[in-house]
Amino acid sequence: MNALQVINARFHYDTSVVIDNVSLSLTKGEFLGIIGPNGAGKSTMLRLMCGILKPRSGDITLFDKTLSEQSQKTIARQIAFVPQETHFTLNFTVEDVVMLGRYPYQRPFAREEKKDFEAIDYAIAAAQVEHLRKRPINSLSSGERQRVVIARALAQVPRILLLDEPTSHLDLHHQYSIMESLKKLNAEGLTVAVVHHDLNLASLYCARLVLMHGGRIVASGTPNKLINEETLNQVYGAKVRIVQHPDRGVPQIFLHTE
Amino acid sequence: MIKITLMIIAFLMAVAVGILAGPAALDAQIIQLRVWRVVLGIFAGGVLAFCGCLLQGLFGNPLVEPYTLGSASGAALGASIGILIFGAISPILAFLGSLGTGLFVYTVARIEGGLLRDRLILAGVVMSFLCSSLVMIIMVVGGRELYEILYLLMGYLGVIINSSNRMMIIVLIIISLGLVAFLYRFHRELDIISQGSETAAGLGINIQTFSIIVFFSSALLIGLTVSIVGAIGFVGLIVPHVSKLLFGPKHRFNLGASFILGATFLLFADALSRVITVYELPVGVVTSLVGVPFFIFLYKR
Repeated sequence: MNALQVINARFHYDTSVVIDNVSLSLTKGEFLGIIGPNGAGKSTMLRLMCGILKPRSGDITLFDKTLSEQSQKTIARQIAFVPQETHFTLNFTVEDVVMLGRYPYQRPFAREEKKDFEAIDYAIAAAQVEHLRKRPINSLSSGERQRVVIARALAQVPRILLLDEPTSHLDLHHQYSIMESLKKLNAEGLTVAVVHHDLNLASLYCARLVLMHGGRIVASGTPNKLINEETLNQVYGAKVRIVQHPDRGVPQIFLHTE
Repeated sequence: MIKITLMIIAFLMAVAVGILAGPAALDAQIIQLRVWRVVLGIFAGGVLAFCGCLLQGLFGNPLVEPYTLGSASGAALGASIGILIFGAISPILAFLGSLGTGLFVYTVARIEGGLLRDRLILAGVVMSFLCSSLVMIIMVVGGRELYEILYLLMGYLGVIINSSNRMMIIVLIIISLGLVAFLYRFHRELDIISQGSETAAGLGINIQTFSIIVFFSSALLIGLTVSIVGAIGFVGLIVPHVSKLLFGPKHRFNLGASFILGATFLLFADALSRVITVYELPVGVVTSLVGVPFFIFLYKR
């Protein structure tokens, strides 16, 4: 079943075309990686998929209902979006930040209800930030903050989680633990799509990859099928060598130098 | 709870000081004047601090307030044009002045996908100077007393309330309080917007509509307030920060606390303006004396 379907979408800022007639289906329960060089349109694609940006033409459906016909709050109850970086101009506690993820369910003036507290308890546990719960957000490291943002997204109780380079600028420990958390959530039934520019992480964790270049999808398939020297040379303009991951057998990429 | 209690006590003290402080002996007539003055102080201080809190939240900028954004001076310009044309304060022109300067500043500071913090303040201060100069010109050309100019530009709570303006002022206060109550509902949206516009959009907030509603309503509130008591500076800057220090960053508490603390601050400032010298000073002189060092402190931080 298609969770999210993008049909012939186009998008441009002013005159430069960013997304050029792209179609993409996100199957329910899958773990999709969107890869491609800088400026390929990956992030824009993700923003179209969660309704932050509207396509200039084409159509996007969420569980077979047109996205643009649904209110932004209705969409936010089904799709959660994790931006690449979040600046916290106000120093909320971790718990308060996660509670903001309940916004799509709350009415103006109403106080938080029992189900809100249950949802944030679940989200805080799933993102493994229990020990940070009462800490002010700006006292955390960037890796910890990213986990809190993921917890806030999970408090939305979404069916689909979209993440924009969730592990960029993070150390190995946080890369590993965030990707492992996502893998676990995916195994529990959450549909996940991640924009990655770390090809090795994408290959290791994503069941399917789409490769974008110049606003188009140029290839799609399992990491084994999609990642090969010829395609990457062409798209990235860099010479690469590919080896098998020692544990998982998926392709891992190295730069080739003389 | 203790903090809330202290806040209420401070507020009640400010009301008492507002009625009692001053050179003249208390009699029935003085008390009646002072009660009106206290009502105006609560209204203006509350609304200006509330707007400051709202605008700081919307723009994610700790230096923004009706005065630094130029809106208050714009409203004073509108009001003075009203005095020139109709011989009386005109809330509508004050609103248009506040909205006009606000929009100008917003346009100057706007870049693709956001606002430049520093440009917002610079444009606001520049507009503030421009509007002040225009008010001076209008008043001098219109042959008005200098006193009236000062009152518009610096703010003055001792407005003479008589049968001709009483009804209008009461109606304006009621409209303003209604708007304040309406805007209070957006406390969650403001919390979320502090974490970036993409976060807000992802959680289901239509940023554009929301910004327009908040910006427009606060321009209206500033216009109404300035048309009654003039452009009082720095209440909207200082008070939300004090509120944040006391009650933390959540707008649910800050919007309400800013209103009460703003009223308290302005009542004390007004009482001070009556007793510092033999002459009454415009209350904005006192708020600026406190506010300018505070502004510099915030800017340096």
